[in-house]
Amino acid sequence: MNISVIGTGYVGLVSGTCFADRGNRVICVDNNPEKLRKLQNSDVPIYEPGLEILFHRNIQQKRLIFTGSLEYAVLNSDIIFLCLPTPQDEDGSADLSYVMGCAKNIGQVLTKNACTDYKIIVNKSTVPVGTAFKVRDILKAEGVENFDVVSNPEFLREGFAVEDFRKPDRIVIGSESRRAIEMIRELYEPFVNQGNPILEMDTASAEVTKYASNSYLAMRITYMNELANFCERVGANVDMVRHGMGTDSRIGKRFLFAGIGYGGSCFPKDVNALIKTACEHGSPMNILEIVDKVNREQKFVLVKKVMEHFNGDVKGRNFAVWGLAFKPNTDDMREAPSIYIIRELQKAGAVVSAYDPAAMEVACRHFDGAIRYGQTKEEVLKGADALLVLTEWAEFRSPEFNGIKDALKNPVIFDGRNIYSPERLAAMGFTYYSIGRPAVGDDIKK
Amino acid sequence: MNLAVIGTGYVGLVSGTCFAEMGNQVICVDNNQEKLSKLQSAEVTIYEPGLDFIFYRNIAKKRLSFTDDLKYAVNSSEIIFLCLPTPQGEDGSADLKYVFGIAGEIGKILKESGDRDYKVIVNKSTVPVGTAVQVAGILKNFGLKNFDIVSNPEFLREGFAVEDFMKPDRIVIGSDSVAALEKMKLLYEPFVRQGNPILEMDTSSAEVTKYAANSYLAMRITYMNELANFCEKVGANVDMVRKGMGTDSRIGKRFLFAGIGYGGSCFPKDVNALIKTSCDYDSEMKILTVVDKVNHAQKLVLVEKVLSYFNNDIKEKHFAVWGLAFKPNTDDMREAPSVVLIKKLLELGASVSAYDPAAIETAKFYLNNSVTYAENEYDALRNAEALIIVTEWNEFRNPDFSILKSTLKQPVIFDGRNIFTPEKMQELGFTYYSIGRKPANV
Ligand SMILES: NC(=O)c1ccc[n+]([C@@H]2O[C@H](COP(=O)([O-])OP(=O)(O)OC[C@H]3O[C@@H](n4cnc5c(N)ncnc54)[C@H](O)[C@@H]3O)[C@@H](O)[C@H]2O)c1
Ligand SMILES: NC(=O)c1ccc[n+]([C@@H]2O[C@H](COP(=O)([O-])OP(=O)(O)OC[C@H]3O[C@@H](n4cnc5c(N)ncnc54)[C@H](O)[C@@H]3O)[C@@H](O)[C@H]2O)c1
Repeated sequence: MNISVIGTGYVGLVSGTCFADRGNRVICVDNNPEKLRKLQNSDVPIYEPGLEILFHRNIQQKRLIFTGSLEYAVLNSDIIFLCLPTPQDEDGSADLSYVMGCAKNIGQVLTKNACTDYKIIVNKSTVPVGTAFKVRDILKAEGVENFDVVSNPEFLREGFAVEDFRKPDRIVIGSESRRAIEMIRELYEPFVNQGNPILEMDTASAEVTKYASNSYLAMRITYMNELANFCERVGANVDMVRHGMGTDSRIGKRFLFAGIGYGGSCFPKDVNALIKTACEHGSPMNILEIVDKVNREQKFVLVKKVMEHFNGDVKGRNFAVWGLAFKPNTDDMREAPSIYIIRELQKAGAVVSAYDPAAMEVACRHFDGAIRYGQTKEEVLKGADALLVLTEWAEFRSPEFNGIKDALKNPVIFDGRNIYSPERLAAMGFTYYSIGRPAVGDDIKK
Repeated sequence: MNLAVIGTGYVGLVSGTCFAEMGNQVICVDNNQEKLSKLQSAEVTIYEPGLDFIFYRNIAKKRLSFTDDLKYAVNSSEIIFLCLPTPQGEDGSADLKYVFGIAGEIGKILKESGDRDYKVIVNKSTVPVGTAVQVAGILKNFGLKNFDIVSNPEFLREGFAVEDFMKPDRIVIGSDSVAALEKMKLLYEPFVRQGNPILEMDTSSAEVTKYAANSYLAMRITYMNELANFCEKVGANVDMVRKGMGTDSRIGKRFLFAGIGYGGSCFPKDVNALIKTSCDYDSEMKILTVVDKVNHAQKLVLVEKVLSYFNNDIKEKHFAVWGLAFKPNTDDMREAPSVVLIKKLLELGASVSAYDPAAIETAKFYLNNSVTYAENEYDALRNAEALIIVTEWNEFRNPDFSILKSTLKQPVIFDGRNIFTPEKMQELGFTYYSIGRKPANV
């Protein structure tokens, strides 16, 4: 099939590349000249395991091309995917200006060229319920008639984007048109040959599904975070409780890890957007309002532990930070807990040296030079008063603990991701704080 | 092994019977004489599929017996299970008077017997974190040493209690004593032959686990309920959204059904107890505070629909209600949405005929003679303006719709459990309201 993909961010680039890899001809459009130049030079602009191989292969085979011309793309494809940003507006709602603007441009292109070929406009961006209808109305207002709109929310996870796109748990296709559903189904069938479902529904339900799933997961994490704080207070161990819960087949063991709050480009904004839409319709999602609030607070629990350990004064102290990205295997820093934590430490007069395997370049934009970066995880430890672990990258899981101990001024670790065992760290002479588990070490008051 | 089970309610009777089924010698103790005399004459006192069969068999084999003689039971057993009620106290916290009371009696008995034999005291009741330590304290105050305390929360579901007990997802045993853990593992190993885990932990974590799991599930349901209300407003279909969510392998498809609120003897009280304990420790589970609030409101959403259909006036109107139990396959009426809903209808001047396949007797305690109890589901429909479905018993799923239509004054159904599809009701000519989906024929 002939496909165009408008917007080549995480979602657009991965979708476009994977569609091409199944033999489709894919034209990707972006209006960011810098990004476009990179792409046209066969340079992958995002960090995503497994993407490069597919990217180069499909460019070579000429199934994947990049352009700045929306007109060229729209005229040369039957299915047009919108993978545009829908960032959070000031009031928490999703900013639809990119999607609506692009819909209008598509309409104009079609009318200008008197193109009456059947087109399917597929919305892959995460958008509030009712957007598919709005997109339809915009195209109609431009005089376009022979088209259908589909809502096809994307569920890929950054860091596993290629894997998730190629083997999705499910595909959701929302449309009021049989013809459109059939074509999109055909496009996706090669991705679900193991039998995972393609779910057909109305556009409204499809749009709600995406927010409902992400918000559910955000709630799941937040529940575990609140529970972890409680466990600390009563002397229980959240890891044990997690096992006890996760073995309940109705709960499941995945995505139950307590930590320092969810971040990223999706959960915070999707939770807020659903809260906003629900309020607008007079049907508030009370649970999500509290989830959002608790999550904001959770980003500071590690700072509280640091302050307490240093008797409320960290002025002039040096901290080593491992991990900046909002989660491992990505360079995405949007809403990352690290931003809040590091800023708070700096406000209190501390100095921070940080290392992240992928996100340091992106991080520079957030901290404008106010922190030092190390080339290795060992480098940032030298002379630091303590180590803070903020992202659970695999390379942090089995470090050389003796080296850490020698490099740090005091053998103190604050672990926001529970990647080490308290017993082992205590035995090696560390003072170790984590989330929802008893703190250990000689200087911990029992 | 020789076991004593103190308290023969849902948990105690099922646990005792199933332990006996695995060849253990089980003495069950209860202080409710009426219940006891039934049990002693081999009569099952609760409604629980599959229980009667193994109950009779193990009584016949003399592995299962019933008594009110706590002393005899305690002295004859190596392991003593406490399956006592821990109802909600006034302030939401769990009332521990039964547990502590029995702990004191056991203490006295063991002291009298000279603290001779090693005893494992297992708490199966759902109790707040710290209770195991407190129970140990009570026994120590009697000068006892030769015992250990285990926290072994029970996860069985009413209606599937035997199945759940015989094939549990997991067993949680919390104790600081290796000897006690070993004994417990030995007892439970026959139940997890398929490889489900026996999780060992400290007593505090075990106690928290039970509340954490139940409260999580209550939250899951409540999230779906709020989402359903939202879906209705925006014209989406919560069934579709549920499928879209449930196919996410991190979410899972079970326990995602929207309805008119959770009830029963566990979720409401466990959620409240965890809220209370967390507040006591200055670490409020704020999400749960909201969950509890939303759930209360949800029990009345169906009444709102009824009211708006009848232009806010249901005085002297008669309604049929199908289902009283808080969920199918049980006669448990504790915190059932049906009670809240029916009381509201009556308060607004309506009258009610109700039918439930198992819970009518227990319902009488909550509703007295304020409603008419029907002989069967069709009987309940006579002279009713509309049918209200409150519990999703299987037998309600495929009724004879022609009888429904000819008996009801108007073909109107308010379905709190989404047991029919709006499309089918549209086709059959019913006006149909459900949860989180577009109404039919309005
Ligand atoms: N990132 C994820 O993990 C993820 C997962 C599922 C869904 N989503 C949703 O998908 C959408 C896209 O997310 P993303 O993370 O890929 O965003 P992104 O910001 O990484 O990418 C958006 C791209 O669109 C381009 N763009 C903006 N305006 C344009 C225009 N007028 N014409 C052409 N290109 C234009 C930008 O230059 C950018 O490359 C969002 O709605 C997001 O919520 C994201
Ligand atoms: N019902 C469930 O589905 C379920 C599931 C898991 C856990 N639990 C927990 O298990 C515990 C018991 O619940 P249940 O539903 O079985 O309660 P229940 O009320 O059905 O049974 C309790 C029994 O204890 C007896 N009893 C009370 N005081 C006694 C005494 N001093 N001596 C002897 N017997 C006495 C009562 O007569 C009654 O038969 C509670 O903590 C509950 O939260 C219940």
